[in-house]
Formats: sequence, structure tokens, C-alpha cells
Amino acid sequence: MLQLSGITKTYPTPQGPLKVLDDVDLTLGAGESLALMGESGSGKSTLLHLAAGLDLPDEGSVHLGGQRLSILSETKRAALRRDRLGLVFQQFHLVPSLSVRDNLTLQARLAGREDDAWTEHLLTRLGLADFAARYPEQLSGGQQQRLAIGRALAPKPRLLLADEPTGNLDEATAAQVLDLLQALIDESGCALLMVTHSARVAAPMQRHLVLKRGKLMDAVL
Amino acid sequence: MSTAAPGVLRTTLGTLLSHYRRHPGQLLMLLLGLWIASALWSGVQAINASARESYARAEALFSADLDRIARRDGAALSLDDYLALRRAGLPVSPIIEGELSLPDGESLALIGIEPLSLPGGAPLAQQDGDADSLRNWLIPPYRVRVAPDSLAKARTLEGLPPLEIDPDLPPATLVTDIAVAARLLNMDRHITRLVIAPERDVELPSAFVRTSTDALASPGQLADSFHLNLTAMGLLALVVGLFIVHAALGLALEQRLGLLRTLRALGVPARTLILALGLELLLMGLTGALLGIVSGVILAQLLLPDVAATLDALYETTVSGTLNLPWYYWLGGVAITLGGLFSAGASMLWRAARVNVLALGQAQAWRARLRSQLRLQLLFGAALLVGATCLWWYLASTGGQQDLALGFALVALLLLGAALCLPPLLAGLLGLLARYLPRRAALLQWSVADLQLQLPQLSLAMMALLLALSANLGVGSMVGGFRLTFLDWLDQRLLADLYVRPSMEQFEDLESWLQERSEVATLLPTRSTEAELIENDVNVGPVALFGIAPEPILRRHWPLLDTLEDREAAWSALNQGAIFINEQLARRQGLAPGDTLQLKSPASLITLRVAAIYPDYGNPRGEIVLPVSRLATEFKAPSGTLGVVLAPTEDRAQTLERLQNALRQRFLLTGEGTDGTPLIDQQALKQMATEVFERTFAITRALNALTLGVAGLALLTTLLAQAEARRAQVAPLWALGVSRSRLVLLQIGQLVMACLGTALLAIPLGLLLTGTLVAVINVAAFGWRLPLHVFPGQIAMTVALAVMVAILAALIPAWRLWRVPPRQLLQEFAAA
Repeated sequence: MLQLSGITKTYPTPQGPLKVLDDVDLTLGAGESLALMGESGSGKSTLLHLAAGLDLPDEGSVHLGGQRLSILSETKRAALRRDRLGLVFQQFHLVPSLSVRDNLTLQARLAGREDDAWTEHLLTRLGLADFAARYPEQLSGGQQQRLAIGRALAPKPRLLLADEPTGNLDEATAAQVLDLLQALIDESGCALLMVTHSARVAAPMQRHLVLKRGKLMDAVL
Repeated sequence: MSTAAPGVLRTTLGTLLSHYRRHPGQLLMLLLGLWIASALWSGVQAINASARESYARAEALFSADLDRIARRDGAALSLDDYLALRRAGLPVSPIIEGELSLPDGESLALIGIEPLSLPGGAPLAQQDGDADSLRNWLIPPYRVRVAPDSLAKARTLEGLPPLEIDPDLPPATLVTDIAVAARLLNMDRHITRLVIAPERDVELPSAFVRTSTDALASPGQLADSFHLNLTAMGLLALVVGLFIVHAALGLALEQRLGLLRTLRALGVPARTLILALGLELLLMGLTGALLGIVSGVILAQLLLPDVAATLDALYETTVSGTLNLPWYYWLGGVAITLGGLFSAGASMLWRAARVNVLALGQAQAWRARLRSQLRLQLLFGAALLVGATCLWWYLASTGGQQDLALGFALVALLLLGAALCLPPLLAGLLGLLARYLPRRAALLQWSVADLQLQLPQLSLAMMALLLALSANLGVGSMVGGFRLTFLDWLDQRLLADLYVRPSMEQFEDLESWLQERSEVATLLPTRSTEAELIENDVNVGPVALFGIAPEPILRRHWPLLDTLEDREAAWSALNQGAIFINEQLARRQGLAPGDTLQLKSPASLITLRVAAIYPDYGNPRGEIVLPVSRLATEFKAPSGTLGVVLAPTEDRAQTLERLQNALRQRFLLTGEGTDGTPLIDQQALKQMATEVFERTFAITRALNALTLGVAGLALLTTLLAQAEARRAQVAPLWALGVSRSRLVLLQIGQLVMACLGTALLAIPLGLLLTGTLVAVINVAAFGWRLPLHVFPGQIAMTVALAVMVAILAALIPAWRLWRVPPRQLLQEFAAA
């Protein structure tokens, strides 16, 4: 499903170049779930951006669904993202001017795969059925993150990339959201790569890796 | 993937547009800007297009293709003159003209022609060509041709032959056979004019004089200044309106950066995103253009009757009171709105396309780009100003032969260059203020720092204000300077208290009678005719000759722009055979005092030396001044006007009235005023000239004020659009103990500060604009230059206007801040 081989990424800083990822290899099979851990600034989000084709590595290759991202045009990378990936961000990034229902179906509509029954199912499972006509600002933080997860799952992606999906939520709400995410992943059968710095959040995942000084290693929970 | 592409575009566009559902004010501001820009431009163009169409019809009718023949003694032409010339084998054709009064008090012009003798190429002679049509024209019940827009009025006239529609005729004009016209106008054996094809080079009997077609100023030429004013102001309104659009688009983009990033992350390609933004612009543009053009036409429809009346009063041109808009008007209106919108939106598309998807939505990255954009803007603005300087230098070196298009290019470079430099200059000014403000003035320091943060959002509105203020000062100074110069010039040229226009037979008797009157101090006779100007043995066309009597009073007052030595020497030279020429002729022919020119007189070719150049405002033609005696003998000019200068008296009005009454009784002269009547009071003439002046510039002033209003609106809408974000900035200050009333005052003070900075730049820019208008645009458009006047009052007014606009624009947002409940401010504080 996802294969990263020999990935290196360096950023220029006032103190000189900073190598964030150094010869990183990572493979994620269909239906697998993986938690990527590490301290702030360890390069977790960079790796996620590379996996999503939002950015390109300086060295190495990223294969998604068998396609090498670096040889694809920006338009094709965008299409791949639209069709096969679901993205969940820490900051939700909902569209404030769209209703809950329209936000939920946004990526599915972009991908041309809107499924009314699946949408209703998601709304119910996410506990948003009664709020479908409201706008994001009228929802609580937990509801907003549930909506962001629903948006990512609405086009039935093969891989869900989540960047600290509970980072903005209190403990109780975070637990609820994680349970829901896990349940929906199981229902849809898509793979999950989740970036987190919390061992508790990472625990339910099948595999656990940690990024340290640009290198990827197995994590001990 | 390919099947999803239209869906991606549709969904992206829908999502982008949904932004306006939450921010209807921004949409309103965008459409308002487009609407104002398009409506004012379209309105002005509709008036211009309609007037030009009327001029074109009138010019085609009186064409411009026929020379006129008149009696040298100035007497009216009669049927006998026509018959005598035809018997002499001259292919002349008679025309009579008059007015038929309508029941509602208006009138229609009636022109009678003789189709068989009228030169074939002339538009008046163009019949349908078939024999039936000509027969209908020549035999009872005859026919009267009328333009469709005057048909209804013509139908209210009784006793007219059957009407035929002719779309080529000018408005309010009827054309029929000369016999029918003579009967309807009771003109009996009188003829208004005789015409001849210009290519017919015939020798006229000495009693007649021929005026070439080139010498006749067409209605379009005369009203050009009026339309030039309208166009320039329409263009300014368009530019200022587009600044509002630019400001609105910038805000809409900045607020949607997060949305753009999300869309890109969800798989919308950059190209699709730009295409969607482009489609959004197109949608806005078409809506704005439609709204603007429709309102522009309504505006023009409302204004046209007044404009037509003004043009009729000023230039005696008949402009149809109903709009006649050619197809290209509509297309042009849409094109200019869309073109303007895309030029205003191009930077938005460019910036959106360049920003990295990972940096999208990050305010810092965006601000860093704005800083580099400010630097780029300053460089580009400076380059434009250097370009303007080079163009000025080039135009100054070309002397009189200036190109109007280059003149406008100079104005555009100057305005755009200065506008682009404004934001970086304001930023620099605020930086300096922040550095030197005392540390104790914490609120003031915050105020300056906060204004620096606001600058990117405010800069476009400030640029619009700069343009409006400098245009206000520039045009105001130009009109003020023109008024001073023009009134001064009128005083110098209209020296006589009374102007008498006697017939040829009366002239000598009347002159002798006046010379003997004790109340008359000096008589100033004038004559006029025309002659062919010869340059390098080539006839370059006719030039007007004006004869004056170089009496001491005239020598003292007649304005001169340039002489070889001094005024006295110039007048002596005039008496010894030299000439004066007007500024228009000097610029057109590149002549200076001391140069010579050649004229073809009825007797021979004469070489004349130019002794001086005089200003001749408002005259589109080249003119030469000679002593009146010389004009009579060498150029056989018919007698003209007698200017009567009264001897010093305590009661001028009474003396003048006594003299006028005596003239009426003795010489049966009647009438007062200015229009073809034999007695013209100087005061009435001056009053009319001043009225013409004021009315010509009234619309300029109105549009100028409107532009300033639009700029104020730009500022207001910008403030309203960012009011929400501003509250988050001021809420912490409120939480720290600054009262809401102080916050309100601070906000007003900030805007006044920014507007004052803008006004400081608007002053030199406005003065430069005045310089360009009087020294370049005026010379290129009309052939004469105005002296540059600087009015301190106008400058003070510009500064006052800037402060007023700032206070007015800040008032509503400040009032809203004043009314915001403390609970909401607490929320803003928590979010800040």
C-alpha cells in the first residue's frame, strides 16, 4: 500500500541545514495500522507530508499503491491523494462556510464517489446526524474532529493518514474520538498511519515506530 | 481520474464560493467595486457614444465635403446670387436652413436642398437612387426626410409633406426640397448658403468668397474638450473602482488561505484551484459588468437630456436625447470590466499559484511574502516614475508636436508609479515613527505598531485614496488656473464696452457717427477672412486672418505669450508689416517670433514675419493677426465688428444704454446678446463665456467628487471587511484596561494618520498631475498651453478632505466597536 525507501529530507535553517529524515524506510500493507511516534520537531509530520505527496523527498522514493510519487506530476499526485487517501489534521481544517454534511462529503465529491448511504451511515456513527445542517463553528472541538475523520473516510480511501488527530482534544473526548476512529477503520478496512507523541493513543495500533534524530526505529510502549 | 475532473472543478468552485455565504460583506464590496467602476465608465461611454453618433450624422450631413460660398460684403445670399453664379457656369448648389417651432416650445431644424445641383458625393444628395424616389422628392405632395429618433416630434408639426425615415440624418433635423423648405420657412428668395464640391477649382466673381471645408470646425471638434473631460474622469472612476475590487479580492484570498490548503491536501490540483479562482473571477466580472452596464445606461439615459441641452447651449451641437448605442459599446463595456477585473485579480491568481501548499494558511509565510512584495512594489513603482520622467523629457523636447496618447501614458505612469510606491513609503514612515516615539507613550506606540500590521490590508484603499486626492488637487488646480487665465484673457481681449455688427452698407456711416459721439473714446474695428498658408511652396491649407486696430488701449492690454524683443517692439513691427500668430498656429507649424510664413492673398503670394505669439484659448484653428486696414486692402476682407470703448464716465450702464438706444433709432439696429444680433454688450459676452467655462467643467467637478467618494467607500469597505479580525487585536488592550471610548479614538486616529501620510504624497503628485494636464495633455489635445498655478487653498483642502474621508470611513467600524458587548470582547480576548 505505502512504501518509503531511503528517504532523506533536509530543511535550511539559520544555523545551517537540518536533516529531519535520514535514510528512512517504511512499509505499510493494506488494512494495517501503524503509529508513528516521536518528540516535537522529530520529523513525524514531514514524513506524513511525504507519504501524502504533499512534499517530495530530497533522496529516496515514496510508492503509493504501486506508483512512485516523485515521477508523477503535481496534478497526478493530487488525483492520487483525492482517490486513495484520507487525511486527518490536528487543526481539523474544516471549511467554515460549508455545512456539516457538505464538509463531510467534500472529498468524496471531489473524487466523484459520493455515496448517500455511506454518508448517512457516517453521520450516524459519528453522532452528527442531528447537526448535518449546522456549520463547523456551531460544533464542539470533539464534534469537529469527528467530522474531520468522517470527511477523510467518506470517499472510502485505502489509506488514512492522521496527524495528531486528538492533539487538540481533552482526554475524555480524545478517547471517544480514537475509539470511533478505530471502529471505522475496522469497518472500512483501510490502512492507517497515525502520527502521535502519545503512547496511550498509539497503543491500539498494530505496529509502533518512533522517529529519533531522523532515524526510524521500533518503539517500545 | 479523467471522469472526476469536471466534478473536481465544480466542487472546488462551489466550495470557494461558499466563502461569500459567510462573508456577504466581502461579496458586496467586490460587486460594489465592479459595479461602480463599470457603471461610471459605461455611463460616460454611453453619453460619449451617443453624442459622437449624433456628431457623425451631423458631420456627414454638412459634410465636411462641401466648400461654402458667401458674399464678400457679408450680405445675405439671395436666389439672384445663385442664378448669377449658375449662369456664369459655376456648379454651385443652394441650401436654405431654418427652424420650425414645435407646439411644446422645442424646435426642429429644416434644411432645404436642390437635389439636382447638389454635388453627387455629398451625403445630402444621396437619394435612394431610383427614379420613383427622386420623382416623389420633386413633385407634390413632396417628401420630408427625418431621423427615426425625431419622427415623433416631426409628426406633431402640421402642414408637412409625407415623412420618410432616414437613419443617417442627425437628430432634430428635417430635410426636404428647397422649394418646400422656402414655403415652410417663409424665406421667399433668400438662400442660407451656397455650396460647391471642393475639387471644383473655379474662379469666383470678386463679390463672393469661398470657405474651404477644412476651415469649418465640425461639431465634434468643438465639443471634444467636453468629451475628453468625461472620458478622463470615467477612466479615473474605473481605476478607483478596480482598486476596491483588488482590495476585496486580496481580503477574500487571505481569508481563504486555509481553505486553499485544505483543498490542495484533499487532492485538488493547483491548476484546478487556479482555474476555479479564475472562474470565480469570471462569474463576478460578468455579474458586475451586467449590473454596471445596465446602471450605466440608466445613468446615461437620465443625464443625456441635460448633457444634450448643455452641449446645445455651449457648442450649438444637436445631440439626440435618446441613447443610440452601437453593438461595440456593449461588448466594450463587458471587455473593460472583465479586463479590469482580471488585471486586478492577476496578482491574486499569481500569488495563489506560487504559494507552497505546505505554507498555505500560515500567516507568517504570507506576511513574509507581503514584505518582499512591498520591496518589489517599490522597485516597480520607482521604475514607472523613472519611465514617466523620461517620457516627460521626451515630450518636452518635441515642442508643439505632442501626442495625446503619449500624454495620457505619462499621466498613467505617474499615477500608477506613485500609487505603487505609497505602501512602502507609508511603511517606512511608520517605521520611523515607531523608532522615535517616546517609550512612555505606550498607547501611541501600540497604535503605530498596529497600523504597521494593518498596512497590507489598507494599502489598496490608500492607493485608491491617493489617486482620488491627487486627481482632485490636480484637476482642481488645472480648472482653477484655467479660470484665472481665461477670465484674465477675456478681460484683455474684450476691451470694448459694446460691439456693433452693422451691415456692409451701414458700416462707414455708423463708424463716422460713432467717432463724433462724445461718450465714445476709441473705436476698435475688426475684420476677418481666410487665406491659404504656403509652406515650402506647398499649400498646407487655409488659415484664419483677423484684423485689429492697434490703438493704444489694445496695445496696452492685448495678451502676448512670446515676442522677439519686447511688447512695444512687437506692436511697432505689426504696424510695419509683421504679423502676430496664435499659439495653436505656432505649435502646429513650429513657428517662433522672427520666423516667416507665406500667405496667398487674392493678389499675390506674401511673405510675412512673425513678431509675436498670442494666446487664443478655446479656438481650435490657427489664426493670424494683422492691422485691420491691411486686411481690407490686401485680403479684401469684408467689414466686421466695431468695438466701442466708452470714454471714462461715472455711470457706464446709463451711458451705454443711451448709446445703444441712439444706435437703434438712427441705424435701426435691434437686439442685444451674443447670437448674430448687431449689438453685443461686453458684459453679456463675458457672462456667456464664463457660463460656457463653468458648465464645461461642472461635470468634471462632479465626477471628481464622485471619485473621491468612491475612494472613501473603498476605505470604509476595507475597514468593515476586517472589522472582525481587528476586534481580536484590540480585545487584549481592552482587557488590559483601555476603555472602549479610547479604543474608538485610537482607531480613528490610526486611520487619520494613514490618510494624512497619503495626503502628503498626494500633494506633489497632484501638482505634477496639474503640470502634465496644462503642459502636455492640453497642448496635445487643443494646441495651447496654460500657465501653471498653485493654489495653497486647494492644497489645504486636499489635506482636509483626506482627514474627512478618514473620519467618515472610520466612523461606522468605530461605532460598531463602541457597541460590541463586553462578553464578546472577552471571547475575542480568549481567542486572540
